[in-house]
Amino acid sequence: MRNVRGSRHSLVNTQKLTIIAQDPSVKIGGKILVSEVDVPAEELLAGPRGYRVNVIDFDTATSTLYRPAVLKRAKNGQYEDAFALKKADGTPRKRPKRYDRRLVSDPTFHAQNVYAIVMRTLAQFEFALGRRVPWGSQGHQIHVAPHAFADANAFYSREHRGIFFGYFTGPSNRTIFTCLSHDIVAHETTHAILDGIRSRYLEPSSPDQAAFHEGFADIIALLSIFSLPDLIGQLLDRSTPRGRMISKAHLTADALKQSVLLGLAEEMGVGLSKGRESALRRSVKLRPGRPYMSMPEFSEEHDRGELLVAAMMNAFLEIWMSRLAKIGFVSPGKRDRSLVVEEGARAAGHLLTMTIRALDYCPPTDITFADYLSALLTVDREVVPDDKYRYRAALLRHFNNFGIRHAIGADADGLWKQFDGELVYARTHFDSMLRDKEEVFRFIWENRKALDIDDRGYVEVQSVRPSIRIGPDGFTLRETVAEYVQIMTLQARELKAALKITPPPDLPPTMRIRIFGGGALIFNEYGQLKYKIANRIEDAKRQTARLKYLWESGALDGDQEGGLRLARLHRARMARAERSE
Amino acid sequence: MPASAPNSLNIRTYQVGFGDCFLLSFNYDGSKKRHVLIDFGTKALPPGAPKGHMLRIANNIKETVGNDPFAVVATHRHQDHISGFQRSSNGKGTGDIIRGMKPMVVVQPWTEEPGLAQDAKAPALKRFGAGAKQRVAALSDIHEIAARVVDAARRGQLPREMRDRLTFIGEDNVKNLDAVKNLMTMGQQEPVYVFSGTKSGLDQLLPGVKVHVLGPPTVDQFKKIKSYAKTSDEYWSFQARAMRAGASSATSKGKGKVLFPRHVASTGPNYPVEARWLIYHARLAQSEQLLSIVTMLDKVMNNTSVILVFEAGAKKFLFPGDAQLENWLFALDGTNDKYKALLQSVDLYKVGHHGSWNATPKKLWGLFKKKSASSGSGRLKTLMSTLEGVFHEEHEVPREKLVTELKDQSELLSTNKLPQSDLFRDTLVQL
Repeated sequence: MRNVRGSRHSLVNTQKLTIIAQDPSVKIGGKILVSEVDVPAEELLAGPRGYRVNVIDFDTATSTLYRPAVLKRAKNGQYEDAFALKKADGTPRKRPKRYDRRLVSDPTFHAQNVYAIVMRTLAQFEFALGRRVPWGSQGHQIHVAPHAFADANAFYSREHRGIFFGYFTGPSNRTIFTCLSHDIVAHETTHAILDGIRSRYLEPSSPDQAAFHEGFADIIALLSIFSLPDLIGQLLDRSTPRGRMISKAHLTADALKQSVLLGLAEEMGVGLSKGRESALRRSVKLRPGRPYMSMPEFSEEHDRGELLVAAMMNAFLEIWMSRLAKIGFVSPGKRDRSLVVEEGARAAGHLLTMTIRALDYCPPTDITFADYLSALLTVDREVVPDDKYRYRAALLRHFNNFGIRHAIGADADGLWKQFDGELVYARTHFDSMLRDKEEVFRFIWENRKALDIDDRGYVEVQSVRPSIRIGPDGFTLRETVAEYVQIMTLQARELKAALKITPPPDLPPTMRIRIFGGGALIFNEYGQLKYKIANRIEDAKRQTARLKYLWESGALDGDQEGGLRLARLHRARMARAERSE
Repeated sequence: MPASAPNSLNIRTYQVGFGDCFLLSFNYDGSKKRHVLIDFGTKALPPGAPKGHMLRIANNIKETVGNDPFAVVATHRHQDHISGFQRSSNGKGTGDIIRGMKPMVVVQPWTEEPGLAQDAKAPALKRFGAGAKQRVAALSDIHEIAARVVDAARRGQLPREMRDRLTFIGEDNVKNLDAVKNLMTMGQQEPVYVFSGTKSGLDQLLPGVKVHVLGPPTVDQFKKIKSYAKTSDEYWSFQARAMRAGASSATSKGKGKVLFPRHVASTGPNYPVEARWLIYHARLAQSEQLLSIVTMLDKVMNNTSVILVFEAGAKKFLFPGDAQLENWLFALDGTNDKYKALLQSVDLYKVGHHGSWNATPKKLWGLFKKKSASSGSGRLKTLMSTLEGVFHEEHEVPREKLVTELKDQSELLSTNKLPQSDLFRDTLVQL
């Protein structure tokens, strides 16, 4: 059978495109560090406009629509990358004159840059989860506006179905384009994807949930950057002459912290604001071993999100070093540079996949950092039971170091308990249970007592999704993840009697209060329930704490602009000053 | 010399539409009177108000006060509270009339202290504490941001209602330089800049009346309330810089400078069909952002409001300007039992911020012990100076829920219910 290109060969799956590795301020030998990345191959229209992303370059500040980027089709069926520094066969091409200037001043490159990073980030999620991942906003294609406004901000908006990037003049009078910053583009894309996977996480609930979106998006963005070998190689030992070898003195946890993590933080601060720089810087500088989670100064969402980043980045360094310990020395005290870089990129890649997969093992409402830690540990055991590089031990230790303990309902080792209740499967069908929300609801209905689901209130199955991955034995493993949400609306005065929830004393008794519960059901490849990861709606302690937080934060007064929450959050973050340690 | 204490107080609530203007006349034995003008400004006059409406008010204030001792309190520098103090080039403006009355003293919040500008001197810093200089700088940035938002709203092609809201709030926050200068220099004595717990500067004018200053708190005072998330002063500096940078690339004709002139596909209005959805939503998203910024800065400025309780005889009168929750927090903090006791026994409350949802905190409303569903001589009185139809939906002013509560639980006088012919309404309270 011939394909659309008239060939009997399979179509290629990926397309190489050039992006700026971090942002235009990160340079090697005075030249902007670029990287060639793989993105899913697809039919592209002008924009670029593909099946998931539609780049439209409109600037609201000047009401100007710029011409779209048009990628030409090459003879091999792929699209030509007008900014490639490698030939089709992978050999380097001479850097054209004024190449750097063109990267910054050509909006078609900006469009390509955002398209490639958004698609790459999406592909990372789809790779980790083994399924197509929806955006949080309606529609299959998200709009991306690389120069949407003259302001130091960038944000994803569910309501406006888009990701909007601003531009502004930096301290040295240079125009700073947020669409050219890899971490910002990956961060915003992650918000859009996370919103698609767990839509309730944008709702006000607790300090943890408020901080989770931001912390999670930071982690994905940072690990995406660290999975680019070019950038790690650049940051590793900048102050010393480069050779094929690298001294072990550069490869201790402290040295890597200084060179790679703080190095990146420094680079982020050159072009953008102190706010972005200092988020990573503070995360790295936080001293482990303090009860951060209960400290009032870490109750605010930005600060709290940094704890998640700190735990994950420190775990990343330990895992990287643990991988290095296994590759040995080439000569006394020296390791092969390319191997070091490769292992770093691999560790970042693995951690990135785990970080994403853990979402399926999180409750669909009211997430806490503790839930997320247990989800991370559980998903890792599912994928790599023998834990050769001790990922789980590193994660547990570093999360604990920053005050994040595993979930209360988890086992002593921090992992979620497997479900061992008696369930009725006879009234549902295996095949329907793999994809049909109605069938999963029937399963819940028949088993609501065993699943400990309150009869009162509204229950809805929000999604039934496959999760496919390669198991440790090399065989394909197919699990099914279903999520259900419970909603109950009561007057404040009814809370105590109905659910033993103690409302804040000032709460008007007739105020209508919506409370949520819900769970993720993980079915194994035989359709048997393996995990039930849930927040019970009648958990009075959790609901009381949630209500207190909502009342004190003004969320019940309407003092929250729901749709603009991320925009407001990011603007405040860009403007943050360094916190004194 | 008047007797040692007043025997009654007349509060004249002027019809200024969306704004505040109250003349407090304390009546002493022997028909002696002493007056305090609290605010004089408007952002939108009531429909059908004749030309020269504000001049009529200024002249009425002048006639009422005559040669009696008189002071001015400008609670904060929003247009709807101070525009009436602006002078005219012909010397016949409303601000000229008030100035001509030679107020004994002008009382303002500590943030108006001119010594706290960029060249802050040690004595001012010592008095107002660390962080005072940054706060004043932030307020200055806020004026600049507001001006830029107004400019952007006028230039941008935004939905009409959004443009009107942006312009309204933005303009209210644009600096009214002349009114500010006039207030600074019109008093016979040195201006008094107050903060929570200081003397009001009105003691000499009002014998037998205790005037308590409950707000605004200084930066140091506010820092003590740890539980509440605050917008940092650095935030405004950054935002001003970012917006300044955006505007610096604007051409002299006020149009933004196109970033990539060689790559322009269209400057509208007829954009390609496939781009229109995004264009509409990008504009809307940007205007929502601007609205979020001006709403925040409006709140910051509101929170510089002077909060005064006049205690005369057995009666207490609360005038909080437009103070919002953050300003109130210090006064309502658990450690301030003295303030709490004062607030509990308030007889008359000037409704904060024209009846908006966020200026009468539940905690404050809950304290008032003289609220009552049935009318009677001891029932709480409330005065609300407002105008309907300026803000709608979630930003509705006055807030319907609050108005219902005020009507049910107090004797409410609201200027938006006054007949068109009325310039003011008096409330006389025996002390």
